Amino acid sequence: MANAASSAGNAAANPSATVTTVQALNWALHDALEADPNVIVFGEDVADAEGGGVMGVTAKLSTQFGTRVRSTPISEMGFVGAGVGAAMAGMRPVVEIMLMNFTAVCMDMITNHAAKLRFMSGGQTSVPLVLRMTTGSGMGAGGQHSDFLEAWFCHTAGLKVVAPSNPRDAYGLMLSAIFDNNPVIFIEHTPSYWASGPAPVRGERIALSQAKIVRAGKDVTVIGYARSLLDSVPVVEKLAGEGIDCELIDLRTVWPPDMDTILSSVAKTGRAVIVHEAVRSCGVGAELSSRIHERLWGQLKAPVQRVAAKDCPVPFSKVLETAFLYSAADIEAAIRKTLT
Amino acid sequence: MSTEIILPKLGFSMTEGNIAEWLVPDGGAVVQGQPLFSLENEKAVQEVEAPASGTLKILTPPGQSCPVGTVIGEIL
Amino acid sequence: MSPTTGAPDGAVLVEIYRRMSRIYQNDERFRAMLKSGKLMAIYYPVRGQEVIPAAVSVSLTDRDYITTIYRGVHDMLAKGVPSRLLWAEIAGKAGGACKGKGGAMHITHPPSGCMLTTGVVGASMPIACGLALASQIRGDGRVTVAYFGDGASNIGAFHESLNLASVWKLPVVFVCQNNQFAEHTAYAACTSVARVSDRAAAYSMPGVHVDGNDPAAMYAAARAAIERARSGGGPTLIEAMTFRFHGHYFGDAGHYIPKAQLEAAIASDPYPKFRQSLLQQALATAGELDAIDAQIKLEIDDAVEFAQASPLPDVAELRRDVYDMEIS
Repeated sequence: MANAASSAGNAAANPSATVTTVQALNWALHDALEADPNVIVFGEDVADAEGGGVMGVTAKLSTQFGTRVRSTPISEMGFVGAGVGAAMAGMRPVVEIMLMNFTAVCMDMITNHAAKLRFMSGGQTSVPLVLRMTTGSGMGAGGQHSDFLEAWFCHTAGLKVVAPSNPRDAYGLMLSAIFDNNPVIFIEHTPSYWASGPAPVRGERIALSQAKIVRAGKDVTVIGYARSLLDSVPVVEKLAGEGIDCELIDLRTVWPPDMDTILSSVAKTGRAVIVHEAVRSCGVGAELSSRIHERLWGQLKAPVQRVAAKDCPVPFSKVLETAFLYSAADIEAAIRKTLT
Repeated sequence: MSTEIILPKLGFSMTEGNIAEWLVPDGGAVVQGQPLFSLENEKAVQEVEAPASGTLKILTPPGQSCPVGTVIGEIL
Repeated sequence: MSPTTGAPDGAVLVEIYRRMSRIYQNDERFRAMLKSGKLMAIYYPVRGQEVIPAAVSVSLTDRDYITTIYRGVHDMLAKGVPSRLLWAEIAGKAGGACKGKGGAMHITHPPSGCMLTTGVVGASMPIACGLALASQIRGDGRVTVAYFGDGASNIGAFHESLNLASVWKLPVVFVCQNNQFAEHTAYAACTSVARVSDRAAAYSMPGVHVDGNDPAAMYAAARAAIERARSGGGPTLIEAMTFRFHGHYFGDAGHYIPKAQLEAAIASDPYPKFRQSLLQQALATAGELDAIDAQIKLEIDDAVEFAQASPLPDVAELRRDVYDMEIS
């Protein structure tokens, strides 16, 4: 059967092939559905009759896999709860919550149930559920359609949180998330959907809780994920030109974080800057900064810096929305601050 | 063989209670199931029944607040 | 079972009695132990509500699933949770069903299909839809029963779940145990319809209003709904009328329950009434029923002893079951 997924199977043989994040995610869902009959996919508008997902991530899946891929009513408590129940019955549901802000609509099912049922049942039931969602500021979508809310879920024992920065990682992390036996919050960054990158090798998973050193360096450790990782790359390259040698780490899994990689790096450099699109206060940066200070106090050459968005709802007007988020200059300033 | 009378936890938030009144005098005869004392917590006053039959020995006089789980008397 | 009327035969009725006796005796013993201070736990009494789960569960197998809410020991006992595991769990001991990590509000026992007890009103229903969805996709013929109360029929999860179950034609039976009080609030003060079952029409599924204290009627209503679900006919909403003789939780004096209403309910207590009915119809002898009761009493004595002897959980349990792998 000809479909977009199998026609690009040559990607593995052609090392210069690139794909978009949308394509990579589509492949991951396809490959998981094909590999394991327990995998099911649902969410609003995900089936082909409804366009294969608002961003096209689930295109052609319902045509190939039938009722294992379904569009749902607008009922986040209902269908996320259904994801929890199906997972408890031994399936591997991949449920789409259209925008990360809508997790607020079904927080009970995510935090009181998915996160806690393994523990409260004494290990008798488990919830191998993936909740995938998109978000990101910069599109003029306003205060209820743009938030990075990962801190809410990092703060809820029992959940994992993943945020890829590129197509290859999106593919490999999605496969690992689907076949992980814990509930996973999978954050897809909206503007990055159409960014291209090296294609993944089909079937190749990227382990959860394993950060990647994107650029090795000896002077300052810069840690980011999703958009903030992408935004850090040009800053790090610019500073390299001045002889400031940054080690850039892509967390990939935000929770549980790969503390070994983080701590080894900061033990080596003595300086750390954490960058995230989420608002500054009580964000993931605060947690990582605390841990670094607690573990490496005597070895730090400077306090850990955080670069993040302002503590306000994402505003609509372009000038305000731009000011809401950190700038490249903010990242550069934070790195320089650790060197003074 | 004596039976301990324990101040019970009646509800979520109760951590201590006040014995408002003993309904049987000290040294008096008690029949299992009969109302034995009135227990007051922030919410209400409730009667608690005797867990066994015998003779009552009061250890905690009324009007005193004590934590749940306190042995407040015995039935001998 | 009679093929024409759906009425249960004698053997089924006696089995319903056995399950009711199990619920009745366990609940009496829990309350006695709590009152005497020998047990300290949050507990939601079920006295007066014995019929519903007993009459529903006889039409289910261990492979069928149930989900319930915190006032669920009757649902759990009727479905077959072992008494030892139940008692040790409520006592917070390592030998409990959930290793002491859940308590009364989270009793779970997958071998008997008891997949969820939740402390959040209404949450039993979306999860039930998921269990039913799995059954539908696998074609394994299992049915899921979601138990909840009249109060839960006003929460969003109820409406979303019934709509979803109807749209996807899921093999689920929604059983509302209407005991006429939502926490401390009387039904009429907080519900916009005369009957919860009236709401079924809004979700295009059959709505059945039944006397939940009448074993034969409850059995028939449940059986029809379970067969409908099992044969691919989709969901049903059953509203089973009942009454609770005690407060919302153990320790709640229930002052908001009108005295006359409570007295009337106690006067028509379904448990002794059913025993009488079995004897009158010569479906069982007093000796047979006494033997059933005695067997259950021994089971409970054993369960209480087991719970008391069971050790407290090790603090190391805090690191276990957060994820599949132990955390450091």
